[in-house]
Amino acid sequence: MSQVLAFQEEERYQAVLGLDPADTGTLDALIAGLHDESWRVRRASAESLRRLPSLAEVASRLVAVLGERGETGARNAAAEALVGLGDPAVGPLLRLLRHADPDQRKFAADILGQLGRRSAESALIEALEDPDLNVRVSAVEALGRVGSEAAARALESLLKEPDPLLRLAVLEALIQLHWPPPLPGVVPLLADPQLRRSAYRVMGLIPQVAATELISRGLASEVRSIREAALGALGTQASVADGALRAEIDSQARNALKRLPDAVEFVSQAFEAEDVPVRAGALVAAGALREPSLAVAVAEAAREDRLLAEVIRTLSRLGPEAGRELLGRMAELSLPARAAAAQAMLEMVDPSYVPALSALLEWAEDDLRAVAVKALGRTQSPEAVAPLVALLDEPALAGAAVRALGVLSGGCREAVLAALEKVMEGQPSPAALAAFAHAGGTTALPALRRLARAADPLLRAAALDAAMDVDPAVGLELARGALVDEAAPVRAAGARAVGRVGDTSAGTLLKRALQDEDIAVQLAAVDALGECGAAERVPELEALVGHPDGALAGRAVRALARIGIVRAEVLREAARHEDAEVVKAALQAGAVSAEGVALAVQLLSHSGWDVRATAARVLGDSGGRESLEAVRSALSAEQDALARRALSDAVERLSRR
Amino acid sequence: MGARVAPRFEDEGRPEMSAEEFRLLRDHVYSHCGILVREDMKFVMERRLWPRLEALGLRDFSMYHRYLRYDAQRRAELEAAVEALTTHETYFFREPAQLRAFSEEVLPVLQQRNAALQRLRIWSAGCSTGEEAYTLAMLLKESRRFEGWDVEVHGTDISRRVLATARRAEYGPSSLRATTPEQVSRFFEPVGTNKVRVRDEVRAWVSFGQLNLLDAEACQLVARMDAIFCRNVMIYFDIPARKRVLQAFSERLVPGGYLLLGHSENLLNLSADFELVHLRGDLVYRKPELTLKGGR
Repeated sequence: MSQVLAFQEEERYQAVLGLDPADTGTLDALIAGLHDESWRVRRASAESLRRLPSLAEVASRLVAVLGERGETGARNAAAEALVGLGDPAVGPLLRLLRHADPDQRKFAADILGQLGRRSAESALIEALEDPDLNVRVSAVEALGRVGSEAAARALESLLKEPDPLLRLAVLEALIQLHWPPPLPGVVPLLADPQLRRSAYRVMGLIPQVAATELISRGLASEVRSIREAALGALGTQASVADGALRAEIDSQARNALKRLPDAVEFVSQAFEAEDVPVRAGALVAAGALREPSLAVAVAEAAREDRLLAEVIRTLSRLGPEAGRELLGRMAELSLPARAAAAQAMLEMVDPSYVPALSALLEWAEDDLRAVAVKALGRTQSPEAVAPLVALLDEPALAGAAVRALGVLSGGCREAVLAALEKVMEGQPSPAALAAFAHAGGTTALPALRRLARAADPLLRAAALDAAMDVDPAVGLELARGALVDEAAPVRAAGARAVGRVGDTSAGTLLKRALQDEDIAVQLAAVDALGECGAAERVPELEALVGHPDGALAGRAVRALARIGIVRAEVLREAARHEDAEVVKAALQAGAVSAEGVALAVQLLSHSGWDVRATAARVLGDSGGRESLEAVRSALSAEQDALARRALSDAVERLSRR
Repeated sequence: MGARVAPRFEDEGRPEMSAEEFRLLRDHVYSHCGILVREDMKFVMERRLWPRLEALGLRDFSMYHRYLRYDAQRRAELEAAVEALTTHETYFFREPAQLRAFSEEVLPVLQQRNAALQRLRIWSAGCSTGEEAYTLAMLLKESRRFEGWDVEVHGTDISRRVLATARRAEYGPSSLRATTPEQVSRFFEPVGTNKVRVRDEVRAWVSFGQLNLLDAEACQLVARMDAIFCRNVMIYFDIPARKRVLQAFSERLVPGGYLLLGHSENLLNLSADFELVHLRGDLVYRKPELTLKGGR
């Protein structure tokens, strides 16, 4: 029997999937499918409905299904389908929100909440005064998902309502909206056991010392559930607090926890809570207690991404004893905990850390090893030199090792230099060469001159880069030869070097590089010309503005801006480029000119949101009052949130002119 | 009170990612591989990408965006960025209850079904540095059900860097935190003082390949599988991307083949192509048997 049923179900499921959206009978068939006994068929029907051509008709039919009492499966499937329809469902649902049957009105509010469309907000605010409590609660919950400031303010006023279910829903909605209500409206709710937990969470959103005092009082409570709720509030408040309030939070939390005989155990257990704000509060509490035995629990809290910064802050407050504990137990920690612990250790390291950090280099993941490398540099111990030098041949970490050796050479230069001189006697890597130049300074120049003629082109390029760091005159001398090198990386290094010196001869020297067959050399030459202000190469740079490669075109625009010659027709050509990055470069290049401002007005209607936002910023910076109307008009039509923000700022700034 | 407050977690001395930079980077990553960084994860993205800026010597996230768009190394860097954004915990014999259920309740079924062909294929989708793929091969060895069979555990990931680690098969102590000493001595050999290497007999059953799970064409290259493990990977995708991945899994699984997800994941509202199977020790998904469609 079950086999037959399964067979029939599969047939019906396949039949739904096979329906042609263009057929006239498909809508009826899918509505019938919503009433099927199988959830798979109902689900497939609900999903297929959104592919039909007339979504307005679909929405009306679905709303009708919501009214079919006794058809729970079909009603739920219709609700799901309405959510899937998006905008076309909003109108019929707003009408349903005025239905005589409170069940229907509740359905409408629930689905509008799931749809999350701001266009339903004012109707939902009106529904807060519905005579039926269930409808009001659903409207509150929906506003928690879609509400703006107006909704939040309407919700605030409901905190005085007598019904605890409604007040609880309001508190939860305010939490969802991250909206802090006035403190006096929340305080009486702390006395109600049903509301207390949510009331504490809302209080966490209020960045005021008075709220901190109430939260701290809750922390010292003898009732465990109050302590836990207060801990959650503490975590939330710490995450929204500025510097001064944060110091107050730490101080009050410390005083409150001191009064608890089992504070460490309480905090330790709080790290196991499901609730993220409670774990955030546990971090604040651990930092306030400065208890090294909590170090591992603190580090493991980093498994929740949102707590990472607080974890690092807390670990660095726990002191060197905690750091050593973590380093010794690194292999037992989860990956996020290891990363957080390593990051925090950067602030704690001293020479005693070298062996453990060196061991970490042997087995840890590359990201973690990179932090260990950085930490080794900060130990200022000669013992750290050998492990760092050994990494100079390892591509993934060589750059980090060069920087760490640079830091290390501040405290133990002799040891660093001796180790690197030994490396230079053999076959050094480009990274070793860079580290040697950094530590050796001018004493490294003979070796750099020698390596600028090495067989390996990467070594020749690195020698030139390093020589520029040590002595620009020597660097420029080597750069002249590099510009005619047969290897592209060396020619690119030559162009970079010329750019860094900023010599007046740059335009002549870089002419050939600008037409190089290799785009990396061309890019280096374009940048270098911009840095040198080489006006004689402006025609070549202008020719590159229309180049199909966005990198070359964009950098040519920037170079021209740095030289200070950006002609209006060049700006216009750049603004027509297919690549939005080039268009933005044009806007920034012309920002202070009248042509640039006119261009920005035109680009307020560009298809890219980022271009429109950049144009708005340019106008806010450099436009006159005459631009105001265009910006206002663009703001009224703008749908993108970030572009709207830039346009609003521009309107505000232009209005003040 | 007024004014919405957004919980934040500040950090010192690092370039801040503006809302626009976040959006540009997020969209770029999304168009590359379907991984969607949620709006409230801006600071996580900032933190995880900051080491990339440091490694490349870039001053801010706009420069990083341009690097990802234009640099000759952009493809490799995009992989590094995706890897940084999706790094998740991985170690041998992770989630033991699920693995036990797989060994004790799924493997006997697969042994029986495939007895004639003596062939078994398992896909570790989003295998990261390879621990899961090798663990599955070790479970197959431990079960002693597939001696002499043609067995392959195929691990795929979008990142070439993690695949290089997977192929090297060398691991440190943190990868072994859930591995018993007996398993360590049976399946690994020591390398130096702090590392172990997976033994050749296990490696012989494991292969790796680079694959973007949203690349439907590339997924077609994967053989038909008897089981797919995709644990804690789909959490990074938005709903349309999850549906596309599940569609690919459905196509690559043999009828009756199993799909095992991470413990926090389910197919609710995502796909009707799989049926839920209640094992004694776990819940898994299964592609319905062909017999259900028989007679057509």
